[in-house]
Amino acid sequence: MVGVEIMNYIKNKIQVVKAVSMVTYKEWSAYRTHSMVSIFVGPVYFMVQYFIWKAVYSGNSVLNGMELSQILTYFGVTALIGYLTMDFADWNLQMLVRTGKFLTFALRPVHHRFFALSQKIGHRILGLLFEFLPCLFIFVFIFKVNMIPASPGWTVLSIVLAFLMNFYLNYIIGLTAFWLVQSTSIRRVYQLLLGIFSGGLIPLVFFPVYLQKLLFFLPFQYVSYVPTMVFTGKYSLAGIKMGIPEIVGIQAAAVLLAALASEAVYRASMKRFTGVGA
Amino acid sequence: MDIITVENLNKTYETYRRGSKFSETFKSFFKREKVIIEAVKDISFTVEEGEIAGILGPNGAGKSTTIKMLTGTLFPTGGTINVMGYTPHKERAAYVHNIGAVFGQKSQLIWDIPPMDSFNMNKAIYSISDRDFKYTLDKLTGLFEVEDIVSKPTRVLSLGERMKCEFIMAMLHKPEVVFLDEPTIGLDVIAKQRIRTFIKEMNAQGTTFILTTHDLEDVEQLARKVVIINHGQKVFDDKLQNLQLVLGSKKIIHLMLTSPRTDIKIEGTEVAEKKSDYEYILEVNLANSSINTFIRNLTNMCEFSDISIKELPMEKIITRIYEGHGVSAV
Amino acid sequence: MKSNYPGIYRECIKVSFATAATYRFNFVLNAIIMLVSNVLFPLVTILIYGSGAGFPGWSFYEVLLIQAVFTLSAGISGALFNGILWVTMRHIIEGSLEIVLIKPVDCLFYLVASTFEPDSIGLIAGGCIMFAIAAGNAGAISLLMWLQFLALFLAGLLVMMGISFIMAATSFKWVGNSRIPEIFESIKSFGKYPQSILNKSAAAFAAFVIPVAMVGCFPAAALLGKASMPMFAAVIPCVLFALSGIFLYKYMIRLYEGVGG
Repeated sequence: MVGVEIMNYIKNKIQVVKAVSMVTYKEWSAYRTHSMVSIFVGPVYFMVQYFIWKAVYSGNSVLNGMELSQILTYFGVTALIGYLTMDFADWNLQMLVRTGKFLTFALRPVHHRFFALSQKIGHRILGLLFEFLPCLFIFVFIFKVNMIPASPGWTVLSIVLAFLMNFYLNYIIGLTAFWLVQSTSIRRVYQLLLGIFSGGLIPLVFFPVYLQKLLFFLPFQYVSYVPTMVFTGKYSLAGIKMGIPEIVGIQAAAVLLAALASEAVYRASMKRFTGVGA
Repeated sequence: MDIITVENLNKTYETYRRGSKFSETFKSFFKREKVIIEAVKDISFTVEEGEIAGILGPNGAGKSTTIKMLTGTLFPTGGTINVMGYTPHKERAAYVHNIGAVFGQKSQLIWDIPPMDSFNMNKAIYSISDRDFKYTLDKLTGLFEVEDIVSKPTRVLSLGERMKCEFIMAMLHKPEVVFLDEPTIGLDVIAKQRIRTFIKEMNAQGTTFILTTHDLEDVEQLARKVVIINHGQKVFDDKLQNLQLVLGSKKIIHLMLTSPRTDIKIEGTEVAEKKSDYEYILEVNLANSSINTFIRNLTNMCEFSDISIKELPMEKIITRIYEGHGVSAV
Repeated sequence: MKSNYPGIYRECIKVSFATAATYRFNFVLNAIIMLVSNVLFPLVTILIYGSGAGFPGWSFYEVLLIQAVFTLSAGISGALFNGILWVTMRHIIEGSLEIVLIKPVDCLFYLVASTFEPDSIGLIAGGCIMFAIAAGNAGAISLLMWLQFLALFLAGLLVMMGISFIMAATSFKWVGNSRIPEIFESIKSFGKYPQSILNKSAAAFAAFVIPVAMVGCFPAAALLGKASMPMFAAVIPCVLFALSGIFLYKYMIRLYEGVGG
């Protein structure tokens, strides 16, 4: 009996994901050309990186343990993973709170976070089709970048974890709207930190060693740097080398922590929300 | 003397159609189906100097498209427009110095700062001299009784107060012709009345007004001449009195009864729609009797819990005109 | 009647500062965030040079000077031209460009003037500080070098103006696409580094097609005494680029008005 109930529960959840992501997909299809901007922007930034690093490596064959080809793969993979994990749950949520529309979700039998995650899935299916795949082709066939993961299974797992990590973090940032009228500035500061410390700007091994150590305890590297390194099959930070299963395990633990944190902040927000509403 | 002459005006647009299925949205990334829309079809009319002319029609009839072409901000596909001797879209720079415009739903005021700063901006744009500016401003703010309001930030003003300031903004450079696109939309009864009084006042001083509206009351209270547009075509063009002849003086009564009735029969009254035994929409002809008489008859006959008296809605006006009376006037 | 364009521009600047003063807190915050997010890119350069590597033929301060000039240019053009994209986008979405078109002034001029952006002051200040640090370490600068710099820097501003206008013109057709700036932001990044790192076709593109090299690299090179004839020749495409931006925008206004449509 319990088994059947669990099955029904899961079935119901899958139904919700399917329905919500489909609607989101359609909704955003209207902005079809928005996604296509990435097909141009991604490769152009890659070209800039190519020129920068080619010049930098003209005097050295290895920098911070990375070769030129590795750096190029790094930037290609970082860009592609970005398309798969991109998220603006924070923006959506703070808009809902600010406009008072959050109330309509409080009345629905679906947890808003689950709803938002389903939305993100739909949105990223669009990203997969119109950003990820075209850019992948450009990187592989035009720029001839090596885009074969060292271990596809671990890579997919790590990307899924990065997807969740980015979502939970953004969700927490979005929840700050319950406390702050101007949560936009918090968002922008967070986006800035994420941009620097996720490894999107430059591989994290280029940072001073003390910063690299600190990054183990910050959530940022799990969004981009970790999955990218898992893709290449070698992970190291602050001089610590780790096997792929180990770092993915740490990443999973970090995601779990983020999920718990988001639940805690969510509960506190609900207390505040109903408190204000009463 | 005619100040505006419009002959055989046409405007067509191209737009795209898109499906809603997954595969269709996917396809629409690459290919879209073209649709041609005729917004204005072969419209001609004239407006005399010093007149208030109303362009009436339901939403999407082509009123706004027409007024955009009259203000020179939209090029016609065909036909000619002459306003004060100008062809608006061809000589816009010189032309717009002499006109004013208020778009009911598009504010010209700057949101975060007081209207006064916006006025000063227009002073610079229209090269209004200090003396003229002060004179006109004092006169207009006095007329509208908004002397205190103009120095408060626009965002704290009520819709009615903001509309008054929009009018002042449009009139500062003393235009000879003023175009009003839905000037009373969204306003409450009192604010509407204030705006109408102002328009009449300015008209008495010689300004010609052209207004689009879907509110029959605007036209009845202001206009001397009425042009009615439906689906981009002119269906009526005559004096207001003649429109009233066609429409008769009719009112729409929305009635909620306390006990059920199968029918309501009062002299000079038709049941326009029976929603249930409790809810009726009546059309009352006030040509022979007054609204007082009607109410008296009604109260003798039945008990009601709610009643509202309204103007004929746009659709009714159009149908009535199509029934044969108005089209002959074209 | 001739319009008093300087007078209108002055009135517009007054209004934009009045607005900024109304939202003081936001204004300061925006200025700071704009500064921080725009001076991030030199971080890569710092980390590269910090790792003991670098761009061949360029010292750290020389590269920093390029990026300081770029930041300064971004700040100034941000104040002067950037607002037109967003205001155009809003007018197109709301269908309210008419309220600008009925004014007896040039539509493009009015939109540029009325969207003067005081927030960029933070970025300009940041650019100045970076500039002072880099120039202070770059060696002696002669008067001639300053003049050359100024001429090329102005040409660079023309490029930034052209980019703003082209973006805004694009938004007529690409309705509501808030990602339009990303396209040009990516192209601009070619101007943030010494042009010697680019291959021939990329360098030619950045100098003569969309002359972003003029935004950062060329004026900085002039200050370092590295100016060359091709750099001055590149002023011509800059002027052409700015003009094409103006023409494209005006063309889009004509289309909006439904000419021939």
